[in-house]
Amino acid sequence: MEPVHHDLAGGPAFEPMIQIDMEIKAFVSVWRHCDYVSTYMARMISQNRSDSVRHSNLFSSAFNELLEVVFRTRHADGELACRVSRHGATDRIELILPCVPEERRFYEEAVSQVAGIEARERYLNSVSGDLAPSREVVLLELAVDYNATLRLEEADGDAIKLVVDLPLEGLRN
Amino acid sequence: MSPYNLLPRFKAQYDANNQEFSISGVVRPQAIDELGPSIALLRDAIGRVRGVLYVNVRRLTQMNNAAFHAFSRIIIDACRARPDLKFVVITSSVVGWTSRKFGRLSGIEPNITVEEYDSEFYPGQGFLEEGGFVPILRTQTKMTWRHERAILPRHGMKPGIVMADICCGIGDFAVLVQKEFQPSRIVALDHSISSLDYARRVMREFDIRGIEYTYGDASEMLLDEAQFDLVTCRHSLQIFNRPELILKELYRICKPGGRVYITNEKNSHCLGEPRAESIRWTYNEVAKLFGHFEMDVELGPKSRRYLIEAGFEDIRVETFMVTNLDGDPQDFADVIAAWADVYAGEMASKRGDCPEFVARFRQGFQDHIFAALHPKGYAGWPIWVASGRRPQ
Repeated sequence: MEPVHHDLAGGPAFEPMIQIDMEIKAFVSVWRHCDYVSTYMARMISQNRSDSVRHSNLFSSAFNELLEVVFRTRHADGELACRVSRHGATDRIELILPCVPEERRFYEEAVSQVAGIEARERYLNSVSGDLAPSREVVLLELAVDYNATLRLEEADGDAIKLVVDLPLEGLRN
Repeated sequence: MSPYNLLPRFKAQYDANNQEFSISGVVRPQAIDELGPSIALLRDAIGRVRGVLYVNVRRLTQMNNAAFHAFSRIIIDACRARPDLKFVVITSSVVGWTSRKFGRLSGIEPNITVEEYDSEFYPGQGFLEEGGFVPILRTQTKMTWRHERAILPRHGMKPGIVMADICCGIGDFAVLVQKEFQPSRIVALDHSISSLDYARRVMREFDIRGIEYTYGDASEMLLDEAQFDLVTCRHSLQIFNRPELILKELYRICKPGGRVYITNEKNSHCLGEPRAESIRWTYNEVAKLFGHFEMDVELGPKSRRYLIEAGFEDIRVETFMVTNLDGDPQDFADVIAAWADVYAGEMASKRGDCPEFVARFRQGFQDHIFAALHPKGYAGWPIWVASGRRPQ
């Protein structure tokens, strides 16, 4: 069995792979930035996966949803940092973004909903009932369809850090 | 607006004959308004059909939740308004998220079913994809490589190129190419999970680098356009019932100025001495047998026409003959024995051939083996090589 390294928080150590930083104002100036960034980063990190093309497609699909949520967030000025790291079959996306206090509360509530046992039911209710998905439902879908786990971590100043673990390597159709 | 925004990213169409609405490409709108014409088309299709509406998302590479909700709501609402109407959503086994995401719909409305498109859509290919054919492929590659290693440079192979090997099977050709020519990157794609597992195991065990094996459907690949200097597709067009669809994809992923390289057989031209008549009869029957399952193992000499019709230029065609004099005659005999097992075994049985036919059919293979191993004998298996350049 391979040795597992742990970080200070006690979790397994994730190896950094790629990071993109950009001014949040620049990011939200063009919708297609979500597509560009998710597609580019997906290609970069998928080369050494067992099926690079499939992994890239899945990762881009999930990451784009996250970036679209960020795009629709009301922000303070500052920088958006997108970081991807890896431990075994799991890829970790960390998004550090400046946001106003109400948005911080939105993310806290949304992440707690994702962790709830009724996540799948809430997601299906939205698909069958809502005209458009709320940002919360988009995050729910990551848990339901990609087996993602989400959590919030402290970040400097008025920023929040959204951490999403995606076990895509083992995901079956 | 950046120029990138002007590029068409997705396409929706409705085929009235098949009652099929299809949407393909990347669908990531900011607002639902951007989907207006496609949504109108789906609504219109629903209004026209009776019985079943097929919703084809096989070539849908990306769709964000905003778009998914919009299309799903229309389908769900239609189910509720018209209980007589059924929807069949056809996803691709290649695009990992589609079956999971669209699969949720059947849990919401029982009139929606989701089917995953896979190799069942290629009649007869099941004989060749899983299991029985692997030993044949291994030995065949070993024998053809003696010729192809000299031929490939005339068709665009050189060190440092980016290449794709489509329908790579167990990946042995890609490994030989990697060792001999050192391309900078090889993407090797196949639709057989067991073959890819084998290929990845070989890569790990022999610490081979630079090859990315990927699961995919050669007629609808996830690979981006215009990214390969050389695209190879060996012994595969002949086992698809619609080779022109594969060629269209090979053309698409090939860089302008790059080349697509194909190899195919003309089985009825397999030959041997002594016992030439029996051998000739059996291989004529092989061609008919494959024809029964919608595969054209006579395709070799048609390669030039296929490449021209697919839009290639500077077509180069050559042939080579694998014979019992190449290396160990027993290798040749082993290949024939493996052919006999599958052709006169499972395939003949599935066609419903009578015992008398099977006995005569099998005898031709035995005679081919006899010729291969005879001290004065000669046995041959001809291969057609063809390549074309994608115009600049």
